[in-house]
Amino acid sequence: MTTGGTVPRAPARHTGEHLMAYLFLVPSALVFGAFVVWPLGDSVYLSMHGSDLFGGASVFVGLQNYTDMFTSGEFGHVLLNTLLFVLLTVLPGVLGALVVVLLLESQIRGARVLRTAFALPFAFSVATASVIFSVIYNYQIGLANGILGFLGVDKVGWTTDPHMAMVSLALTTVWMNLGYNVLVLSAGVGAIPGEVMEAARLDGATGVALARRIILPLVSPQIFFLVVVTTIQSLQSFGQIHILTRGGPDGATTTLVYSIYKKAFAFGSSDFGAASAQAMVLLLIVLACTGIQFGVLQRRVHY
Amino acid sequence: MTTTATRPSTVDSTGRTRRRRRVSAGRIVVYVVLVLALIPVLFPVYYAFVGSVMPGGDLASSPPKVFPTGFAWRNLTGVFDSIPLATQYLNSVLQAGVITVAQLVTSIFAAYAFAWMRLAGKRFLFAAFMATLMVPAESIIIPNYLHIADWGLLTGTGGMTPGVLLGLVLPFLANMFGTFLLRQAFLQFPGELRDAAVMDGCGHLRFLWRILVPLARPSIAAAGVYIFLTAWNQYFWPLLVTRSPGQQTLQIGITQLRNAEVGDLGLVIAGVALSVIPTLLIVLFGQRYIVRGLTAGAVR
Amino acid sequence: MRQRHTVRLLAAAAALTTTAALAACGGSDSGGSSTAAPGADALSHAKGVTTVEFWHSMKGPNAVALNSIASRFNAAHKGKIVVKPVYVGEYDDAIAKYKTSVQQKHTPELIQVYDIGSRFMIDSKQTVPVYKFADKDKWDTSQLEPNIANYYTFNGKLDSMPFNSSMPLLYINKKLFAKAGLDPNKPPTNLAEIMADAKKLTDRKHNVVGFNAAIYGWFLEQLLATNGDQYCDRNNGRSGLATKVDFASPDGVKVAQWWTDMVKKGYASNTGRTTDAAQQAFKSGTVGMSLESTGEMRDYINASKGRFDVVAAPFPRLSGTGSPNGGTIIGGASLWIDGIGHTDAQKRASWEFVKYAASPEVQASWHTGTGYFPVNSKALDQPSDKAWVKQYPQFTVAVNQLHSTKPSVATAGCALGVMPQARQSAEEALEKTITGGDPNAAQANLKAQADALRKPIADYTRAVQK
Repeated sequence: MTTGGTVPRAPARHTGEHLMAYLFLVPSALVFGAFVVWPLGDSVYLSMHGSDLFGGASVFVGLQNYTDMFTSGEFGHVLLNTLLFVLLTVLPGVLGALVVVLLLESQIRGARVLRTAFALPFAFSVATASVIFSVIYNYQIGLANGILGFLGVDKVGWTTDPHMAMVSLALTTVWMNLGYNVLVLSAGVGAIPGEVMEAARLDGATGVALARRIILPLVSPQIFFLVVVTTIQSLQSFGQIHILTRGGPDGATTTLVYSIYKKAFAFGSSDFGAASAQAMVLLLIVLACTGIQFGVLQRRVHY
Repeated sequence: MTTTATRPSTVDSTGRTRRRRRVSAGRIVVYVVLVLALIPVLFPVYYAFVGSVMPGGDLASSPPKVFPTGFAWRNLTGVFDSIPLATQYLNSVLQAGVITVAQLVTSIFAAYAFAWMRLAGKRFLFAAFMATLMVPAESIIIPNYLHIADWGLLTGTGGMTPGVLLGLVLPFLANMFGTFLLRQAFLQFPGELRDAAVMDGCGHLRFLWRILVPLARPSIAAAGVYIFLTAWNQYFWPLLVTRSPGQQTLQIGITQLRNAEVGDLGLVIAGVALSVIPTLLIVLFGQRYIVRGLTAGAVR
Repeated sequence: MRQRHTVRLLAAAAALTTTAALAACGGSDSGGSSTAAPGADALSHAKGVTTVEFWHSMKGPNAVALNSIASRFNAAHKGKIVVKPVYVGEYDDAIAKYKTSVQQKHTPELIQVYDIGSRFMIDSKQTVPVYKFADKDKWDTSQLEPNIANYYTFNGKLDSMPFNSSMPLLYINKKLFAKAGLDPNKPPTNLAEIMADAKKLTDRKHNVVGFNAAIYGWFLEQLLATNGDQYCDRNNGRSGLATKVDFASPDGVKVAQWWTDMVKKGYASNTGRTTDAAQQAFKSGTVGMSLESTGEMRDYINASKGRFDVVAAPFPRLSGTGSPNGGTIIGGASLWIDGIGHTDAQKRASWEFVKYAASPEVQASWHTGTGYFPVNSKALDQPSDKAWVKQYPQFTVAVNQLHSTKPSVATAGCALGVMPQARQSAEEALEKTITGGDPNAAQANLKAQADALRKPIADYTRAVQK
């Protein structure tokens, strides 16, 4: 493909063009420098210092914050919670959307309307979705328990039972992400050339066979993309935990990001040192995830 | 590179009718499954709007009602008494608007430089810029918060001030997601376009803004919608850098409303309904832009 | 630290010229570094209007009442003082923001801080203790309710001005009580009696539970105090910085076991740690008894109107009739006047407002507008207040409870720098035991949390003594 990448020949203006190109990059570079690079350095600095009464960095403590973190059983729980949250949100979220999209693409009438209906949760922000679910989850007067009661089932402590709270959070998150996932996968299926589908159909492939043999392999890049993106999103989730469970009950929903918040800003705590040490762990985990993404994509896509 | 063009709708009509007859039973199953799946998906949406006009008794009774027994306008009006919703709407529009415009401008410049210009060390620079995408905002939120505080952007009482707005938007004035998306879009245009422009004596700046940007308008719109939605929905950062209700964005306001009006669920739900309208409209009518933006990373 | 601050500023200026312009603000002229109390002349010498930025955590109807106090004060001091109330989020958020503002050297003139933030406020060394102003003006501190002042008094001196005060009570759904054949005029007085009554009240078929309360650390603190127990060492942190918390005592274990049993047997439901959910449950009419603050009374009575009557009863004792030195602890918040970084005129203006806020008239209107206790004992004699108590006769129970409490070490409550975290930790231990369903785990759970607090307490002490 001929693209803009082929630069017109005009040797005399090279230096000027280089300069101008740098100039074009300056605004972005300033923002990244001030709000990504510099804070990264500060995070490392903070994580190696104690905190004074007001959260300011006090004395140098070396790796103390890190050793404290790894030797406390609490942090192990936090990591497990984070992993659990990711598993409970990513797998059902992607698989659910995949099923919906495959059904939608089975040449039914009204697929567009249905797709839009499935995409509606996308309109909800984490705050609005969590507030609505908090009303539904309310133990004594919430609709979720109201419906269970109607069915003759015992009430469930949606956000108050430590075994249930993570599931409730995941349900909310999967619901929020469903619209996004459906849109991405639909676009992926939509991008499959019509001739390919038709050829497959003329070969007699229908329903499950068509989905398994033709559609799934062709949308695997989108599936992979979604898995990575929603994993990273889940790792960064904060709003639903802050609004629905505040990390509880009994710490059952304290994920890495919430733990950082708890140490740094909640309950009168301002232990920026310990919080920064945890932030570095978050950074490394997300780096690993994106590294995997880039690694896999790099092999398929040539920049 | 795969194109994002939608599948041609011209489907072999004979094949279609034949298939329909053959699998009509299966089709009914498909509909049933889809509708069953839609119930839990749409229920919270339904509840957000119907609940917003339910009388308080319907919501606070045990068990609660699914269908309203009356129509309570006062929920919707009451929201405005409890929180400065109109101000918070404006705050959100300002915050998301400034972020969107600024990010588009910085992204257009950077994308153009990466796509169309001679630049020593371009590969390295591009990789370095892209690396910023790998840093989760939450991992650097503490130092960013401390910096914003140090610069005196956390002060101010009551309403939104230029300082508070700066604090809200500063870290998000540039982002490689938009840059990457626009770079991909710019790369779609043939190099001859630029050659022709140079013949006409067109410099880079003029070429970019007069010719390329208008041509890439759909992609820019897609990026804009995506950036806007992301900014509009922000929660953690605005929670930290706003102090009073008059400074808060809608997202924070709604959460505060829930904390303040525990006794009046109708009000809380009404607040949600009122604040979700703009994004709902975008999802309903701007879907194709969202899809373009969303899939820029997935389909390439 | 200061040097680092400057380096940051310079770097910021280099990075972003826009923000550099804003960074230059802050700082003040006279009296900036002192925590002495200026006299009345500070204000009369001041030119123009003195502004008092007042951070608070009042929301809903309480915020309305607070704003009206401020505007009445402003009207009376037109041209001299303007008090600007700013809601800065819940108490926890307010403290977090205050900490940042200390670092920025840009604190508000006046801030409302919850009871359990008192020790931190003293140790932050930013404020002018209220007694200094009171001494200077010969303002009689004995007009404050002694039990309330007791909480904010350290080494015999009042550090901050109590403003909104509350106590916990036992709330009863009269209709459910009658239905269960219980006498609402003979409410249970201790945990054992609550369990017995809850058993009779519980009616699973009709979705009724005998008891429900938020797993709120405050209630544990209160129950321990009724038995005369200290919550933290060194006389509840009042004869020196406390070094450990004592909630893992046999009494603390008893509370956790009782609560776990209640839930396990189905006499109580568990709506979690947030008071919101517990309030909604009680208001829905499906809960026989609940523990809540006096501040919630008005809402309970109004929300239940026409459906059931609300009876307020004294807060239960942990066991038996409680300890003679025990009782309930006053809760709520007080007002702190910032000294560092503020002019004498500002400090004086803050004090003028604080005095006004604690006056009998204002406290009467505050009390009747919110349901908080009047901190000024003369407020209850105001006609408006008398009329209010007549309308809400349940409030008499609260007043009696306050007046019958003997000021003691136990009822003064624990003053601990990391008290907000300590409360969270206690809640976590309680919640873990209750949701785990094993009363025998109570001891281990409480002890684990109490032990885990030693490090933050030690860190805090080190930071203060540095």
